[in-house]
Amino acid sequence: MNPIEFVRAHAPFDRLPEEAIQQLARALEITFYPKDTKVLEQSGAKNQHLYLIRKGGVRLERTGLPVLHLEEGDVFGYPSMLSQDAPAFDVLTEEDTLVYRWPQTAVTRLLGYPELAEFFTKGLADRLRLNIRSELPGLVNLDLTLPIRTLISRPPVFVPATYTVGQAAQVMREHKISSVLVEGEPTGILTDRDLRNRVLAAGKGPETLLQEVMSSPVKTMPASTPLFEALNFMVHQSIHHLPVEEDGRIVGLITDTVFMRQQTQSPLYLLRRLERTRDLADLAGYGKELTGVAESLMQGGLGASEIGRSVSSLNDQLIRMLIGLAEERLGPPPTPYAWMVFGSEGRMEQALLTDQDNALVYESESPEAVDYFEKLAGFVVEGLIQAGFPPCPGGYMATHWRKPLSEWEKLFRHWLHSPMPQELLEAQIFFDFRSVHGELSLEPLERLLAQSADHSIFLAQLARASLKFHPPMGLFRRIREEDGGVDLKKGGIAPIVSLARVYALEARSQAKGTVERLQAAARENKLSQDGAETLIEAFGFLMRLRLREQLSALRRGEPPSNKVPLESLSPLERRHLKEAFLQVREMQEALSQRFHTDRLG
Amino acid sequence: MNLWPFSKSPAWNEVTYWALDLETSGLNNDDQILSVGMVPIRHGIIEFGAHFYSLVRPVRPDALSAEGVKAHHILPRELDSAPGLEEVLEEIKTRIGHDALLLHYSSVDLSFLQRYFRATGKPWVKPVVVDTVVLLARLGERRLRLEPHAKPFPTGLAAARAAFGLPGHLEHHALWDALATAELFLVLRQQLQAQTLRQLV
Repeated sequence: MNPIEFVRAHAPFDRLPEEAIQQLARALEITFYPKDTKVLEQSGAKNQHLYLIRKGGVRLERTGLPVLHLEEGDVFGYPSMLSQDAPAFDVLTEEDTLVYRWPQTAVTRLLGYPELAEFFTKGLADRLRLNIRSELPGLVNLDLTLPIRTLISRPPVFVPATYTVGQAAQVMREHKISSVLVEGEPTGILTDRDLRNRVLAAGKGPETLLQEVMSSPVKTMPASTPLFEALNFMVHQSIHHLPVEEDGRIVGLITDTVFMRQQTQSPLYLLRRLERTRDLADLAGYGKELTGVAESLMQGGLGASEIGRSVSSLNDQLIRMLIGLAEERLGPPPTPYAWMVFGSEGRMEQALLTDQDNALVYESESPEAVDYFEKLAGFVVEGLIQAGFPPCPGGYMATHWRKPLSEWEKLFRHWLHSPMPQELLEAQIFFDFRSVHGELSLEPLERLLAQSADHSIFLAQLARASLKFHPPMGLFRRIREEDGGVDLKKGGIAPIVSLARVYALEARSQAKGTVERLQAAARENKLSQDGAETLIEAFGFLMRLRLREQLSALRRGEPPSNKVPLESLSPLERRHLKEAFLQVREMQEALSQRFHTDRLG
Repeated sequence: MNLWPFSKSPAWNEVTYWALDLETSGLNNDDQILSVGMVPIRHGIIEFGAHFYSLVRPVRPDALSAEGVKAHHILPRELDSAPGLEEVLEEIKTRIGHDALLLHYSSVDLSFLQRYFRATGKPWVKPVVVDTVVLLARLGERRLRLEPHAKPFPTGLAAARAAFGLPGHLEHHALWDALATAELFLVLRQQLQAQTLRQLV
């Protein structure tokens, strides 16, 4: 590979047009540093170059401590080059290293290219996002995180409130539109559906006054609303036209047709399908469609937490539907109960078909209750298996876990008062519980959990359990692979989830989602704002990376796993992964100190 | 070394080196130069942006073999519009006039350059010549003293680069071979711990 091809193949240069690459080629310098050379010195001379590693590797150190390992295809030196400050790190070669570099003047000239400027100026969070957006090239899809204003193609058409239906219809024909807004306080709307249902089908004529048949006040949303929220709103309100409001006036209108092209893979479609399900046999294929939904949401640009929420609420609906079918067969329950989910389901962080984690809580013990809930649990768990959810290997399913509320309280109290490390390791997922269905309130359990902040031993043991898994970072902070891949779950996702759990419990927050927990902990100053944001970004990145890998495994007909081979990642992604892992490690160390986990026996 | 232009040997990185590679139609006396690649090293840094690369319009186009042309990544069509030999030699001359010439296997390229300088009536500029093959041999000897059973370093450009962990490159292309020679030189200079130009010739 010649130098120009090499440059073109690596971030951030891979985003640049050919003319910029040619400029880079003209200013390219090549240099060789033997092992253990200090290329840049922390607080030393100003750095005048942007560096790209052609062969070899370097280590970034801050006051003698290794911070980051960079390898072939990685760039360094740009923060200090751009800011013209002294370098914030020592940069040392770990082996003989061939380096490409550009003088500052050459790089500055190229900052007019937003592709380059963005890469250099954005923080980790933004770069992670930037990176993710470009991962599915060539797929034209609606980005559901965009504000609805981006879909407005023309100004709204108004008609006076004194118009007849016939006059309004003429205006609609003239403008080739399917609805008009009606002037007045409040604003009204008339749609072609109204012309059919409220005028023609009601036996009214063209001379009917708008006032009689229009909808008023019209339902609007602010122009900054993300598309997915608008979509939910429209479905919830059963409306097909949504006027968009900015600075107190209507600036345009969007219709549900913009969402149509994704219809068969939209969450709403699957939801409707669930509502029609009458039989367990109808559930075959649910898993596949759920995967399709996750994929289309991902292509729509949604983050892992939005996808997780969407998928989890579909699964909630599936459970409610199954319970409904069970109750039809078994009759009404002998005592109030709650169907409880926990683990990723409880946190609403499911994305694909994950193991079942569920349990049953009922009010009063009786032989009828034992019998009834055994049958109910059996039916629902079997239905979930039919739909494609594998049974929980640890047996955390309602078929095993069914107790009266008082027993559950006893169990929670036992965990709080005499926490055993091994027990907590397994029990911690129970603290993510959530009721999906049933009359029985789980408030007593919430109250117990809220007291956990007063049980310092419990928190310390929980903190220790959360340190059980750590990022696979080896010597010199290289990412370590095991059995052909990096385990994103053990190495990053699980540690963040459990860190968030400990901090949230300490903050007496009832939040269950990892992101919400971290935010709650930061609000209560149990965790720095910075720390929380970094973890949230790292969590989002890891979740999304895992989802992307799992979806592509499914497309290849392979079972989804938590492992990703390093070589399948772009250099930029590898680097982000490393940054995410390092952040997790740092936060684990902070947690360990805060709860003195080293002092536990 | 009677050609020595410096009274005292300068530090190795005070000298500008022009790594040069020729692609020729063959190795015989009547073979022609097809392309030239040159890359400078100034202050110990390869200034790739200042490289010179040119094809050379052959005097006798019929004498070119199809295989040779293919091996050099050059199409006969490209050669037709290329500058003539004299023009290209002038470009070479203005570059290496005061600087050191860096070659891999200097005898082959040197004899071509000298012959064609003479043929076009230009005086040969007699630069200081640094040869990476010589440096390889020197490093090999040094190693042999410490490890009597060590094999000599390979002398082919790509194989020698691989022996020192340098990446692969597009071979038999004058520009990329010149650059490959320049990179290899930086590594060998460091391995030899040569501090002055004299230690490199």
